[in-house]
Amino acid sequence: MAFYASRIIQILPYFLKGLLMTIEVSGISLILSTVLGFVLGILRTADSKLITRSIGVYVDVMRGTPFVVQVFIVFFILPSWGLQLEPLPAAILALTAMTAAFICEVVSGGIKAVPKGQWEAAAASGLTRMQQLRLVILPQSMQTILPPLVGQYVLMIKDSSVVSVIGVTELTRVGWQTVVRIPEGLMVFTLVGILYFVICYPLIRLSNYLEHRLSLQTVKL
Amino acid sequence: MIVFKNVHKWFGKLHVLNDINLHVRSGEVVVICGPSGSGKSTLIRCINRLEKFQQGELYVDGQALHDHSINLTKLRADIGFVFQQFHLYPHMTALQNVTLAPVNVRKIDKKEAVALGREKLARVGLADKAEAYPAQLSGGQQQRVAIARGLAMNPKIMLFDEPTSALDPEMIGEVLDVMVQLAGEGMTMCVVTHEMGFARQVAHRVIFMDAGQLVEKGAPDEFFDHPKTDRAAQFISKILTH
Amino acid sequence: MLINFNFRVIWEYMPLFLEGLRNTFLISIVSLILALMVGILACAARLSRWKLLRAVSIVYIESIRSTPLLVQIYFFYFGLPTLGLRVPELETGIIALMLNSGAYIAEIVRAGITSVPNGQIEAGISSGLSYTQRMRFIVLPQALGVTVPPLLGQAIVLVKDSALLSLISVLELTRCGQELTSERFMPAEGFLTVAVLYLCIYYCLKPLAGWSQKKLIFREEY
Repeated sequence: MAFYASRIIQILPYFLKGLLMTIEVSGISLILSTVLGFVLGILRTADSKLITRSIGVYVDVMRGTPFVVQVFIVFFILPSWGLQLEPLPAAILALTAMTAAFICEVVSGGIKAVPKGQWEAAAASGLTRMQQLRLVILPQSMQTILPPLVGQYVLMIKDSSVVSVIGVTELTRVGWQTVVRIPEGLMVFTLVGILYFVICYPLIRLSNYLEHRLSLQTVKL
Repeated sequence: MIVFKNVHKWFGKLHVLNDINLHVRSGEVVVICGPSGSGKSTLIRCINRLEKFQQGELYVDGQALHDHSINLTKLRADIGFVFQQFHLYPHMTALQNVTLAPVNVRKIDKKEAVALGREKLARVGLADKAEAYPAQLSGGQQQRVAIARGLAMNPKIMLFDEPTSALDPEMIGEVLDVMVQLAGEGMTMCVVTHEMGFARQVAHRVIFMDAGQLVEKGAPDEFFDHPKTDRAAQFISKILTH
Repeated sequence: MLINFNFRVIWEYMPLFLEGLRNTFLISIVSLILALMVGILACAARLSRWKLLRAVSIVYIESIRSTPLLVQIYFFYFGLPTLGLRVPELETGIIALMLNSGAYIAEIVRAGITSVPNGQIEAGISSGLSYTQRMRFIVLPQALGVTVPPLLGQAIVLVKDSALLSLISVLELTRCGQELTSERFMPAEGFLTVAVLYLCIYYCLKPLAGWSQKKLIFREEY
């Protein structure tokens, strides 16, 4: 065991490289899914039934199927429809598509939580629909959106472990490659777990803090 | 200034506005009263098209509201609206609440808007509360900020939807004082309220609504002292004993 | 895109898909029941008077919530043999799912208990109810109502999470898609069928969660 421990310290750089890859995949997907999620979430509150229903179906499909199945669909099936993707773009596409659906729900929930009177007051002053949303509604809903949004980021970082199955050499895949050579499963995956913990735990605390701050504010109002 | 011609509105099967005919002249102060659910709020919400109606004609400042192609934001910019529940923007200070529309709708310079905002806040007696957030203000103060917010657009018409109903009794006076002053300056006003003192003091006309119909209109003293219809008489006796 | 979709193969593999569906169902139910027990125990420890018990529970809950399920599965799959324990894949997977969901359920239950307003407890004290009576008649019935909707949400998550067991060769629904891919190289037929079957489960559970949200949450009116 001590022998393996020293080997693991030897290969620690590989783990750090894997960690960097995890951060890269999650970081890019985080930005893309936030943009897409906000657009979808705003459209979800639109008046058009066609738009809201289609987004609803999209969200249901993303929420109703396991992420690993989505990854397989993107990686194995899109090529037969003419879209051949390398593992990394495929991983980013799958993560973005799924997370955007969850963020869409968070955003539309936040917008719907703003009382109707705020829309009316803004409309009565002659603001356009976009101005009402940008100046009056979104700033207020950000408080309710932020804590679950950070929560979604945590889920996404954890879900990024699944893209190891299509050969993206991120943290989990590094662990899997290592354990084949060094049969110390407990130690290897404890190390992998610790590295995930280092990123996710602060984010979870941040989400809790934002939520706590929000609840204090609601009491004050 | 405001002309209703045979306006009808339904919420599903409920006939909330039933054949409304009304002409409000420029500079006139009209008080609208009636039991709850009589359609009086819906009536004034039609004037700035917060509510649509299905039948009839409505002209506001020469624009035809039944024509769906009109520029709504332009129409609303010229009409101030004060809500029962204030609806101040909780994430903005009193001053920011007042200057939001002048800057973003009228596109006036920020500095100018701030000066304008302070002037309007001073007018409602809240010059010292410019930097306060709504949550730090009393109900009466919030409603006065809401009035200043409406006035900041230099509107041609001010609409008030039960502006004092959500207030504690001791705060009603400060809001009514501002409204009386405004009426004295010749503003065209439509006010949904049960404040008889206010109606007698400044209203040119009182309108009584019941079950979606415009039942009675007349000078305030005449309406309150000698109502013509039973329904109005009943209503007045109820708010008097209240 | 569905032009050369081979429905005959799907039909041919239907018995396999149904077996996978049944296994996914059983794995989820068993894991959910075990996770409920773990979750309630962990929550009791979390709210306990003893510091050590609280600390253990917090470490458990936070480390589960801060790491991916897949890493937890591999931890047991590759780790248990290192300890000399030979546990079959299915049981390994269920242990991982149980401990994972257990941590989330502990937090759900705790949120339910702490959501009961203090005024309710004070009202109970004023009526002379004992601690157990207050728990039984006032706190738990209200907490339960608040707990059921997120628990159903967790059940949906659990069904989806069980798909990861396919990666340690447990024959559940997702594994069927992989078999179709490796035996016939027909990933579209395999994984789209799998996705549709998961959606069926989702659409059964989703209205239930919505219904419970409306029916079971009582709130004091102000």
